[in-house]
Parts: sequence; C-alpha cells; structure tokens
Amino acid sequence: MVTYNLKKIQTVPGAKELIDIVLSKTQRKTPTVIHRHYAISRIRQFYMRKIKFAQQTFHDKLSQILQDFPKVDEIHPFYADLLNVLYDRDHYKLALGQLSKARSLIDNLSKEYLRLLKYGDSLYRCKMLKRAAVGRMCTIVKRLASSFGYLERVRQHMARLPSIDPHMRCLIIAGYPNVGKSSFMNLITRANVDVQPYPFTTKSLYVGHMDYRYLRWQVIDTPGILDKPLEERNTIEMQSITALAHLRATILFFLDPSEHCGFSWEQQIGLFHSLEPLFVEKPLLIVCNKTDLPWQSQVEEQLNALVRQESNHSNSLDKPVLADGWMKMSTLEKTGVVEVRNTACDLLLSQRVESKVKGPRAQSILNRLHVAVPASMTHTSCDDQKEEESQGLCRPFIPESVWKKKQENKTMEEEEKEPSEEDHRKDSQKILEKDLEMAHGGAGVYSSDWNKHYLLRDDSWKYDIMPEIVEGHNILDFIDTDIDERLAALEEEEVAREAMSENDEMEGLDEESQQRLQRIRDKKVLLIRGRSKQRNPIGANKMTKAHPKSSQEWRKQWLEMGMDKERVDMTTKQILSHRSQSREPSKPRSQSRSTSTYRWNQTKAEAGKGFVNHQQKQKALHLARKT
Amino acid sequence: MPQGDYIEEHIKEHGHRLDHFERLRKKEAREPHKKSQIVKRTRGMKAKLLNKQNFVDKVQQRKKIAALSQKKVDRRMEQPLVEGSVPPYLLDRQAASSAKVLSNTIKEKRKEKAGKWEVPLPKVRPVADEETFKVIYTGKRKKKQWKRMVTKVTFVGDGFTRKPPKYERFIRPMGLRFKKAHVTHPELKATFCLDIIGVKKNPQSSLYSSLGVITKGTIIEVNVSEFGLVTNTGKVVWGKYAQVTNNPENDGCINAVLLV
Repeated sequence: MVTYNLKKIQTVPGAKELIDIVLSKTQRKTPTVIHRHYAISRIRQFYMRKIKFAQQTFHDKLSQILQDFPKVDEIHPFYADLLNVLYDRDHYKLALGQLSKARSLIDNLSKEYLRLLKYGDSLYRCKMLKRAAVGRMCTIVKRLASSFGYLERVRQHMARLPSIDPHMRCLIIAGYPNVGKSSFMNLITRANVDVQPYPFTTKSLYVGHMDYRYLRWQVIDTPGILDKPLEERNTIEMQSITALAHLRATILFFLDPSEHCGFSWEQQIGLFHSLEPLFVEKPLLIVCNKTDLPWQSQVEEQLNALVRQESNHSNSLDKPVLADGWMKMSTLEKTGVVEVRNTACDLLLSQRVESKVKGPRAQSILNRLHVAVPASMTHTSCDDQKEEESQGLCRPFIPESVWKKKQENKTMEEEEKEPSEEDHRKDSQKILEKDLEMAHGGAGVYSSDWNKHYLLRDDSWKYDIMPEIVEGHNILDFIDTDIDERLAALEEEEVAREAMSENDEMEGLDEESQQRLQRIRDKKVLLIRGRSKQRNPIGANKMTKAHPKSSQEWRKQWLEMGMDKERVDMTTKQILSHRSQSREPSKPRSQSRSTSTYRWNQTKAEAGKGFVNHQQKQKALHLARKT
Repeated sequence: MPQGDYIEEHIKEHGHRLDHFERLRKKEAREPHKKSQIVKRTRGMKAKLLNKQNFVDKVQQRKKIAALSQKKVDRRMEQPLVEGSVPPYLLDRQAASSAKVLSNTIKEKRKEKAGKWEVPLPKVRPVADEETFKVIYTGKRKKKQWKRMVTKVTFVGDGFTRKPPKYERFIRPMGLRFKKAHVTHPELKATFCLDIIGVKKNPQSSLYSSLGVITKGTIIEVNVSEFGLVTNTGKVVWGKYAQVTNNPENDGCINAVLLV
C-alpha cells in the first residue's frame, strides 16, 4: 500500500534562497586557495571541482523536492482528484516538470563546461569558465522562482489536509448545506467541526474517527452540495464530489424534510437523483434529520419509493439506484443518532465481507481451509444426554457409578428438603481451618494444629514425642527406613543358601556317610560354640579360628570319626615333625624370598639343591669358576 | 478554515494572550537594533551583499517618502508641449512637412552608406599566435615541433574530415568546436540561438579566418531562416552576418550581434 506522507514534505526554498544556499555551500565545501604558478592540471582540477560540486548540490536539492511531492498519476485516485480540485492538476504537473527540466539542464551544463575546462590554459581562463558555468546554473534556477513559490504554497496546504486513508472503513456524510451534517459528525466522533446556523459553514473535508464493533472507522464530513451541473460546481463542492466518487464507503445522504435549511424538499430529492451515478455499488442510507420540527405528510411515501425493496432486489443498470434504507434522526435532541451510525457501519461491513469472499484472494484461502466438525457422540449410559445427542454436542464422559451416585444424591436432597438451612449447611460444608480460627479467637490467637494432618500407619502415633538428638547423636543419621525389609531379605537368603550347600554335599554320598557328615557338622557347631564360650565369655567372636588344636585333640577327634588307627598316628607324627621344624630359627626374609614361591612347609634351601640335575649343577659351577 | 489550522482554531477559541499586542509592538521596535547588530557583525562577501541590499531598500524608502510628501497638483498643466502639436482650431489643416521627410531620407541613406562597413566592435585586442596555438611535440623522441593545437573556439563545417596525422598541421579539438551562437537582433532587442554557417572574417589574421577560429570581433555567418526575412526580390534570406561580442573561450558560449 502506498503511504501518503503529505505532511512530511520538506520546505521548498525560494529561488534566491536556493541560490544562496548552493553558492555558500560550494564556497564552504571546496578548497579556496589557488595561485597562478600552480601546475595547470591542478588549477583545472580546482575549478572543475567547484563546478561539479555546485551542480551536484543543485541536483540534490531539486531531486529532493521532486521526490517529496506525490506524483498525481501514482497516488490513489481520490487524492489525485483532490489535488486536481484544490491545486489544479496541470499547474501542479507543470511546476514539477519545470523543476525536473531545470535539473537536467544543469546536469548538461556542467558536463559541457567541464569539457571546456580541459582546454583551459591559464588560471584566468579557467576561472572565467567556472564563473560562467555557475552563473548559468543560477540563472536557470532563478527562472524557477514562480514554480518554487507555487510549490511552497501547495506544500503548506497539503500538510493541513485531513489524513484520510482511502482503504479504511469509512462513512461519508453528504447532502445539502445546513441540513445537520457537521452536527451529526460532532455527535459520533471527537472531531471538533465548526457548526453554525448558516449554510456553507464547512468549506473543506473533515475527518473524524470512532470505534464500532472494536474496529476503527473514519467519518468524513463533506461541504454541502447544491443541485447544479458538474461543470458549474465550485472548489468547495467538488471536494465532496471527489470523496463521494472515489472512496468505497457507506454514504449517509442527509435530507431535511422540515425544509428548515432553506432548500425545498423537491430540491433535495433532485440532488439525490443527480448524484445517483456516484452511489453505484456503495451502501447508501438516507437520513432524515431534524425530526424535532414538523414534517410534510407525503414525505414518507416518497422516501419509501427511494428505498430498495426485497422484491426488486436485482440491481440492473437501467433501473435507478436505490438506497438501502431510510432512517429518522434528530441531532438537536440526539435521538436516533446511534441507530443511524450502527446501521451504516453494518451495511458497509456486510458489503466488504461479501466482496472479500467473492474476490479471487478469498478463494485461494478457502481452498486451503478445512473446518473440522465433530462427529455426533452417542451416550447410551444416561438418559439426559440422549436428548442433546441430536444437537451434535460433545458431553464430558461420566462413569456410570458416578452418574448413579449423582442421581442418588439428587433424590436424597429432594427427600430432605424440609430440614432447616443450618443443618443442611453443616452436612454439605466442610469445617475449614479458617472457620476454626474464627471460632477460637481469630488470627494471631489461634494456632493451627499441624499434627492432626500427619499421615501415619497408626493414628495414635500422631502426638508421640520424637527426640531429635539422643546422647549427642542425631537420630536422623541412624534412621534406615527400609531396615525391616532388608533384614527379612537377608535372612531369607541365608536360609536358602544353607539349604543349598547341605544338599550339594549330601547328594553324592550313601546313607551311612550322610549320617556321619551330619554328625560331624553338628559336632562342629557344638565345638565352635563351646570354644567361643571358653575364650570369650562376653560373646561369640566369629573371627577366632577353630583351627589350631593340640595333636591329642585331633587324634581323639579323628578316632571318634572312625579313621584308621595307623593313619591317625602317622598324621599326628607328621604334624609334630612339622612343628619341630618350624620352630627352628627362620632365615632372613630376603633369602627366603629369593627362592621360588613361598610355602609354609618349605624345607631349608641348600647350596646346589636348586638345580634340576647334576649336569646342570656342574655346568653352573663351571661357569661360576670361569667368571 | 481547514481541519489542520490549529493556531487559528486556538486563537478563535481562546483569543490572544493579554500582552500579545504589546509584545508585538516591542518586537517591532527592537527590529532596527537587531539589524544594526547584524550589520556590525558581518564580514567579507556577506557584508557586501548585505550593504547592497540595505542600500537598495533605503533608496526605495526615500523614493516612497518623496512620492508621499509631494503635494497633489493638477498634472495636466505641467505636461510639456509635444513638438509639432497644434492648437485645436488648426487641427483640420494637413500641414505635411515634406521638408522633414526629405531630410530624413537623406539622413538614412547616408547612414546606410557609412554603416555598410560599420560594425559594433570596430577595434579588437590583438591575439598572439602563441596564445592561440599550442605547440605539440611529436616524433619518437618528442622533439619535432611542427604541429599546433588551436586553443580557441573554432567552427568546423559539417563535411570536415581530419587529414592523416602526418599532414595535419593544425588540430582543432572536438571539445572546442561550436555550432551555435546566441545572436542578438539589435532592433528587436531579442536574442536567438542560431546555427553558424561559417566564419566570414577573423580580424586577427586570414589564417584564423581559414581555420574557423572564433575570437572576439570575428564576423560569422548565421542561419536566420527562422526569422522568415525576405529580400526585395522576394527570396528568403537565410544567411546573415553577425559579429562576436564576447570571448567565447572564456565564457563557453558565443554571443554575437546581428549586422543589419
């Protein structure tokens, strides 16, 4: 969309002012010192720079003006026509054309003089050429004085035009002078339009804004129009014609049936008919103002004739354009004003939506749209919902049990309607902590009991006193929440393992030996217990070994177990010999380590005993002697 | 009053502030003081321009005062007598002064005779050859000096083709060739931009004339077919002489006066 920055046009300087600006700028921004004895190329370059700079500055200034002013052919036709009415399109275009021509003339001129400067052979000649060039530029600009003046006046006027957005939702108020257009405008918007009891108070377009249905609307108040041929209309009237012709808006055509405005009813109807071509394809509402004054009787019949009926809706070209409705209103008593506004806005809205739906853009959007409609839900469980099923409504799912309970409650309530209100309240309402607080002296006095809400296995535990520290130990450090479970698990595991090991050993043996093994184990257990009691009367020390016994004890035990006597004797003797050997003073540790792996029953190492055979020994000795 | 005239609207609604007119009067009274301050402070070119403007304003002011201070007098009595006017009772007599007509024709004829060779600029400043011709060094070692470049504005006819470099003694550069001249008609007091047909005579030397060099005082022939002049025999005049009145090489354009 084109934006109209009519308010942001820079000021147009006068011709003399522009020349002053450019010349002083050239003087300031280019070097100023030159001497005759400088190299000629330097002198030429010095003056060339001056010419080029002046030309560029003129060019920029003119371009700025040309760029700022809107081009009549490119802007919205409403604005184009308004410019034509107010400032005369030809004059406007001519002025801008002159500026653009002058710009190209200046460009060519500088090019020409730069070319001549290349042949300058003295400072004097170069200087004269520069002087001529800049002088000619100034002359060209001086001739534009009248154009500059005109453009400046246009700029000042344009900046004060009401900023009308041609694409916005819009209402246009039109009609004969003095029928109450401006007073209606003042009622529905905050625009402060001058209202006076004489015709042609409003001499230009006024714009006001209002909100309806959360949308922004602009209302345009137009100057009054007389019933004349188009050619005879003056500038003031032409402004309203322009607005009527180019803006897509609801037109509120104001009539004054009381003829208080100074124009007869026939004249006003005549104006309506002469403006008909401007009303084509726009929502049109006839508004009869000044209902506070007496009317003529035949007015309503005529008005009905102007309004389009439902039956003859077809809008063919040869038929006269008809209004969408007519309404009564009195701006003096402020009756019917809002109704008129709402009707007008609704008319425009519906038309805009219709045209949008018809348009090609809407079709492309509609093709991509899919509106999902929920399938009808069937609730077989409950009766009430079956009725709504037909409406295609989706009800929340309520389980059958809940539904039943609800029904029961309902019947209960119906039965117990008699009891007093307070009881009912007690039943239904829960006693809140807040109520308790109120009952026990209010905030600050009552302190709530936290303990009663504890979730414990046994309710009697709620008020138990639980120390935090006992004998300098924090209790929390010793709490193991799942100790019972873990203990139970451990015990179970142990039982299982014992059973397993017993079974394993028992399997391979015959009955007799099984019994024997059992006896051995029982005895072992007894012994362990007895010994532990002997040694450590305080308690059983599992870590103490049952192993080292006296040889007599072993002997007795083995015999009991049914070992051969010979074998028992031999083993006992072996043990004894071992012990005697072991009592010998041991060798230093380092030596013992040097031999092979350490065993507790290892015999004493002798020289020459580490060899495999004699040959190896001989060889080793031989080698030793050699070295 | 359009919608945007905030200042006017405000004044209409609230009026001026109480001391508005007093302030206005004082501001006006201060104006000369301010002006004098500015005049004192400006220097250089700006001061010159300002002084000139002030002078012009002063003159206008004085003239206006003089006009206003003159008494209202009946001006009809003061009108000077026009020569040859007669009192109303002699108006019907046709006293054609034939002697006067005769003397006029003689005067004109004499003028024509003398004016045939009379030009607006009878004397010109001599131009040295060194000024007009720039020596061009040529040859492999740039030591030959027979070639010249014309540094003045020249006119070169349409059908001209440059000679081969070996034979081209005088170069007339493209940048300095002119085809048009601003010719003033002395009787019409109007200036036209006309095509140059040729260089008739350059007062400096015949070489210049043949080369088509245009300097101040040169007689050139211009195409005046636009004027639609007709000779006594009914032929359309299209070539007329004009004398150059400026230094074209300094001004970048040729100004000339038509020789009628």
